[in-house]
Amino acid sequence: MKVVVGDVVLPGDQCEFIATIAEKSRVLLGPGLRKEVDGVFITKAGLLRRRAPNTFWVDGYQKRYIPARGENVIGLVTQKMGDIFRVDIGSSCHATLSYLSFESATKKNRPKVEIGDVVYAKMLVASKDMEPELVCVDSNGKKNRLGVLEDGFVFKCSLNLIRKILSPQCMLIESIKNEWPFELAAGMNGKIWIKAKTMRETVAVGNAILASEYLTNEEIKSICCRMY
Amino acid sequence: MASRKPQLPKSVLDMKFMKKTKERIQKELENTEDHDSLYSNIITNEMRSAAGGNYISESSFIYCEDLMDGRLSFKGMNPEIERLMELENEPLIKEEDMKKDVSDEVLAKKMEAFNQRKRPYSSPSTVAIKKKKH
Repeated sequence: MKVVVGDVVLPGDQCEFIATIAEKSRVLLGPGLRKEVDGVFITKAGLLRRRAPNTFWVDGYQKRYIPARGENVIGLVTQKMGDIFRVDIGSSCHATLSYLSFESATKKNRPKVEIGDVVYAKMLVASKDMEPELVCVDSNGKKNRLGVLEDGFVFKCSLNLIRKILSPQCMLIESIKNEWPFELAAGMNGKIWIKAKTMRETVAVGNAILASEYLTNEEIKSICCRMY
Repeated sequence: MASRKPQLPKSVLDMKFMKKTKERIQKELENTEDHDSLYSNIITNEMRSAAGGNYISESSFIYCEDLMDGRLSFKGMNPEIERLMELENEPLIKEEDMKKDVSDEVLAKKMEAFNQRKRPYSSPSTVAIKKKKH
């Protein structure tokens, strides 16, 4: 079936208009779209979205994480194997994290990571056929915002919610950032880590995030006012 | 590819001392021709059209939706993260300041005045030097 932007699309649908645009200019095909020999096809169910100038993707409800290069994720260290850690990131297989990919880590100076630790890491290798690989440093060898997350509270949510709260249009973080001190790490794999001064505050931030999944910006503002 | 490389003229290659270079160039040519014929039966037209074109595939949402970084800290919970967040916002503020600093009009006026001041000086000074030489 032929589709246009904003439509509900199903796997197998063909996007002829993207092919015509691609004849003149560059097109970025995001998740859910695939270039085949005889056209561009949908591979996921959801809404077809477009962002200027020519970025297309399919926005669908999803809870299973599919590793993608460059994304920041929250993982749980499940095993130590010689020079790598195995990290559970909620995808179909575990990811690996080398002990050398931490800031100022050397063969002699090992980072302090134990089984059961929660790490915030960047996806370095994510391919269909191989195990994903994580790193806790940026390209300059600095830890930047990555590393082991100490204390705090982790919970799961859908991947859409993560994208919603991290989008620049969403008012949730704007509304709750002035209430009390707290720290937040949102992994693109549908895990959120929160750390606040008291348990009450932690739970309140967590509930606010979970409640905002199906709310508009105005509704989010009103629940944030009632929060305390 | 071969057309992009600078090629030596035939007259130069025919010279005696260029014998080795000539052989090498011939070998390179043969090699590239071999490659083309070697894979021509394996590479199909479908493969040629599938590669390249105007399509860029991206498997992540962060570039499609322009999402922000997921690690945040507020009200001094983690000063280290907050410093990084400030650094990220800083370039925007700096650019605005740079614009305000000296406007183009002011610069144009100043330069005009500067040039006018410079010109009358330059001609008498050369005259003075000439006079000294005499």
